[in-house]
Amino acid sequence: MNDEPTPQQGWVADEIAAEFPELRIAWLLSDCRGTRSDPGVAERLASLASRFSGRQAVELRQQQVPAAYRSFFRQLGIDPEQHPTPIERAVVGRLLAGGNPPQDRVSDALLLALLETSVEVVAFDAALATPPVGIRSSLSDDRPGGRELAPGTLMIVDSRQSLAPLFALGEGPPAATAAGERVLLVGVAVPGVSALAVDEALTIAAAALGGG
Amino acid sequence: MAALLLEHGAGSRTLLDRQDEVDERAARRSLQLQVAQLDRLISAAICEAFPDRLELPAAPTHGPRLQSLGQLELLRDQMIGSLREAREALAARELQREASRELLARMLLDPGSHRRVRISQRELGVGGCGVWSVSARLGPMGRLMGWWRVKLSSGCPLAT
Repeated sequence: MNDEPTPQQGWVADEIAAEFPELRIAWLLSDCRGTRSDPGVAERLASLASRFSGRQAVELRQQQVPAAYRSFFRQLGIDPEQHPTPIERAVVGRLLAGGNPPQDRVSDALLLALLETSVEVVAFDAALATPPVGIRSSLSDDRPGGRELAPGTLMIVDSRQSLAPLFALGEGPPAATAAGERVLLVGVAVPGVSALAVDEALTIAAAALGGG
Repeated sequence: MAALLLEHGAGSRTLLDRQDEVDERAARRSLQLQVAQLDRLISAAICEAFPDRLELPAAPTHGPRLQSLGQLELLRDQMIGSLREAREALAARELQREASRELLARMLLDPGSHRRVRISQRELGVGGCGVWSVSARLGPMGRLMGWWRVKLSSGCPLAT
């Protein structure tokens, strides 16, 4: 019997779905066993580090998934040259760092999913977030992490509260790092990216977190 | 009669509002597609320019949020300007490369007249770090006798 958790579809607020009918959000609850990554995850990250040269990092923007993210960034009023898409940011970070040195279990799992699929996965402490998750515009009292937000900012929200802006520009994703916790993984299928790619990213991240 | 007119008038306004809404959504969709297409063209220009970097004007960031029709129009127009600048920069670079290739051809035909000229592979639009320059065969003897030749230096320096 397969007890592997399967990604669940979240919801998108009507006014946003009307604008972007293809926009999807999915989530998955995963165990987080330990604080350090398994050796297999570290090896895969190390092997992925050699996948990109400087030229490939630049040409990445022409591939289907990164191009879809770039277009969506533009359509939401973000300049992807100033605020690179998640995969471009990760690849440039790897070039600057000279590799993908292991960090903590959650960060490694999210990076692995991103490098394998080009789809960003963000993680929240499951004790503080209550699925299902969705996407809506910010309300006047939304202050995730105490931050002030411009009105109308697109947010990832759970059934009780706002969790984070849809894209954390120039910041690391809000990750849960404590050992032994349950983690809520969230992925967004921007227009042009299949829901399957997001499910795959979530599954990769969950496997890396749970030691699968 | 007056009530009927009022009702008829209110109904007409609602239909007009709906028509406006549909028109605006279609316009926004069209602009979004144009923005996506322009981003693909700008991306292609940036890749073509590599390893040179294109300095393009930054678009103001006021997201992530739904953009108004006016904001999308402004963004589209800015991206058209960026694409024009990118293409002009690429055309200027190609002219520069063409001039370098012609200079190299003249250098190969008459090395003695181009003794101080150095042309890098990059200026020619060729990969690598080599540099074309004129040197004398057989060292000082060749210099005295005017035995000049064009040489391509070896590749990139080793990383330290």
